[in-house]
Amino acid sequence: MEENIKQMTTSAEENINYKEELKRKTSKPLIWIGIVSIIMFFGGLTSAVIVSQGGGSFLAIEMPFAFTISTFIIVLSSLTFQFGLISVKKGNFSTAKLSITLTLVLGLSFIITQYMGWTVLHDNGYYAAGKDSTQESSFLYLLTGLHVVHLIGGLFSLLFVLVKTMKNKYSLETITGMQVSITYWHFLGALWVYLFLFLRFIIA
Amino acid sequence: MSTHQHHTKDFLFTYVFSTDHKMISKQFLITGFLMGFIGLIMSTLFRLQLGWPGESFEIVELLMGSWQENGVMNPDKYLALVTMHGTIMVFFLLTAGLSGTFSNLLIPLQIGARDMASGFLNMLSYWFFFVSSVIMLISLFVEGGSASAGWTIYPPLSALPQAIPGSGAGMTLWLIAMSIFIVSSLIGSLNYIVTIFNLRTKGMSMTRLPLTIWAFLLTAVLGVLSFPVLLSAALLLVFDRSFGTSFYLSDIYIGGQVLDHTGGSPILFEHLFWFLGHPEVYIVLLPALGITSEIISTMSRKPIFGYRAMIGSMMAIAFLSFIVWGHHMFLTGMNPFLGSVFTFTTLLIAIPSAVKVFNYLTTLWKGNIVFTPATLFSVGLVSTFISGGVTGLVLGNSALDINVHDTYFVIGHFHIVMGLSAIFGMFAGVYHWFPKLFGRMMNNNLGNLHFWFTIVCSYGVFFPMHFLGFAGVPRRYYTFSEFPMFEEMISINEFISIFAIIAMLAQLVFFFNFVYSALRGPKAPMNPWRANSLEWTTPVEHFHGNWYGEIPTVYRWPYDYSKVDSNGDYLYGEDFIPQTTPLGKNEKDGGEH
Repeated sequence: MEENIKQMTTSAEENINYKEELKRKTSKPLIWIGIVSIIMFFGGLTSAVIVSQGGGSFLAIEMPFAFTISTFIIVLSSLTFQFGLISVKKGNFSTAKLSITLTLVLGLSFIITQYMGWTVLHDNGYYAAGKDSTQESSFLYLLTGLHVVHLIGGLFSLLFVLVKTMKNKYSLETITGMQVSITYWHFLGALWVYLFLFLRFIIA
Repeated sequence: MSTHQHHTKDFLFTYVFSTDHKMISKQFLITGFLMGFIGLIMSTLFRLQLGWPGESFEIVELLMGSWQENGVMNPDKYLALVTMHGTIMVFFLLTAGLSGTFSNLLIPLQIGARDMASGFLNMLSYWFFFVSSVIMLISLFVEGGSASAGWTIYPPLSALPQAIPGSGAGMTLWLIAMSIFIVSSLIGSLNYIVTIFNLRTKGMSMTRLPLTIWAFLLTAVLGVLSFPVLLSAALLLVFDRSFGTSFYLSDIYIGGQVLDHTGGSPILFEHLFWFLGHPEVYIVLLPALGITSEIISTMSRKPIFGYRAMIGSMMAIAFLSFIVWGHHMFLTGMNPFLGSVFTFTTLLIAIPSAVKVFNYLTTLWKGNIVFTPATLFSVGLVSTFISGGVTGLVLGNSALDINVHDTYFVIGHFHIVMGLSAIFGMFAGVYHWFPKLFGRMMNNNLGNLHFWFTIVCSYGVFFPMHFLGFAGVPRRYYTFSEFPMFEEMISINEFISIFAIIAMLAQLVFFFNFVYSALRGPKAPMNPWRANSLEWTTPVEHFHGNWYGEIPTVYRWPYDYSKVDSNGDYLYGEDFIPQTTPLGKNEKDGGEH
């Protein structure tokens, strides 16, 4: 590809501009459409819960308090990440480094609180699978578990952003990658809030 | 680096791990056709059993081994073949093969872009598809054979590994292959949508896009919205199979033993599956309709009739496809009122479909038609779209559907409206864009021969199935010789099988033409069909980037054919005006009104 584009444009510099422009134009729509497909995925699963519940015998499950804590954590992490972006835009890099590190720590603690929530569920006799599991407990583990799977992807992109921030790679012109990561992170937060409310009012 | 190494690397990145959309398009085409050929052979094999039940075909044993012991097909393997035929044809040939080929080839070329938004994701999409195809084929050879629960893999047959031979390892591989396939399809769709929205050349407004691009856009949108739901359905199925959850399984006995499952319902799977399954029909069909629009307008040398109505009707079809899935489930004990709602939404689809057919016919009407194989297949699509659509009205109506549910009437209907229409669109596309794909022309006489045999035989195969369906002959049965009431039907089945064999042989003509022309066909000129759209302004030889120098600017819609001035002479002296020609004084852009 490079060779031909070089042929067509006049200099290597323009080639880099072409790539940079391509990235700027396309990476935000790519993440948004990706988010739409993830919404459909969780939409399918939560509507499966509703259809199954229509079948009758859903029993209420007591939601562990840990899930409430994790809701606060993930909302807070969205705020710190956004604060990091604002700091980069203002050129305040030391604050940016601090708040993005904080976001990463909060992201990891979210996973820990989720794990604590599952432990409580398990100790109360709600199993994810197996002979004594019920449909509602399986759904509960599945939805929260799949959210964490998507969150791990978010953590990797967060780590990538953190490394680039530490190396002072961001400026107003090259901030696209960080904006994409932040969009996904906010989405993960919103998705959890939706799942939390859904589980709280539908299953629990 | 030595020259030799350099060459190997070049070869690897040009032909194998290419990020060039044109190469990826060819990869999709060839993989799709190979899968399609396997699906075709499978259908011929089970047609032998249906046409001449229990008769020995020893020659087939050479090919099939223990699947065809003493020349007679093994009943388990019959179910496996039916399942794999459906899966391969719907997903691998008509979803990935059709969309993958033409979206990749035409999106950058027709909107004026150097490549897709992300060449890397595009490559990834193909390789996921390839791996998924390989796994699906490997599943034929595992213990117990491939998945056998039908292409819709309803539980409990698909959810209990011990249910039937194909429910074991074969089903597991089916689920793995399909999950990878879904990822491939999602990555591809993401790329198509972003490319169409963001990388159009100067002047290429949405109302100047060729209808092919509109069709690919809507197809990709359908894919992004519906495939994740199939993924969620498959995931729940995997949990039921492997971890003992009960999403789809309620209290169930197998071989006298009570299983632990409780509380679930297989109907849940049907809801999730058909929420994908119905849009999937249009994922298969819309690209074919887009290709046909383009070819019919070019080849009748007339502007497409009702350009905006075409876009509107495709949007309407895409929207409606999400609210009709219940018509696959009228017999699941659905509330009759809900059934009538689904009947209503389903019958509504007839309106945009009729608009499209009307516009095809009015475009052809009094046109200066150039008969190429592509034209013939496009007109063939219009024919099958009508005859299959009419039986859709029967099936969409719950009161009528209940009588013919799961009979050969359904098989006849969807093979004509979805199978034939989509494959006709794909053939039309291959004949039409072959010069762009391989820089050479296909042989027209062989193409015409291929068309006439294919259309006559396809109707010969699928039309009589409606009569079988009216008589109540159920689908997926290995043989009907045990049922006295179906004895009269055996001659119809024989009739169908003879046509099926001829149709299969006719495809060999196509494969010969395809391979021979790709290697030895006469060199193609730059614009062989005297068409307007941008892909014909690129040089015949392929290179990454598509245009030397600047990408051309677009000034008009792509359907200015046979445009005359007040004296009745052709504007600009030709019966076509490429999109790159600036609008003259007082000249209006066709897409604007």
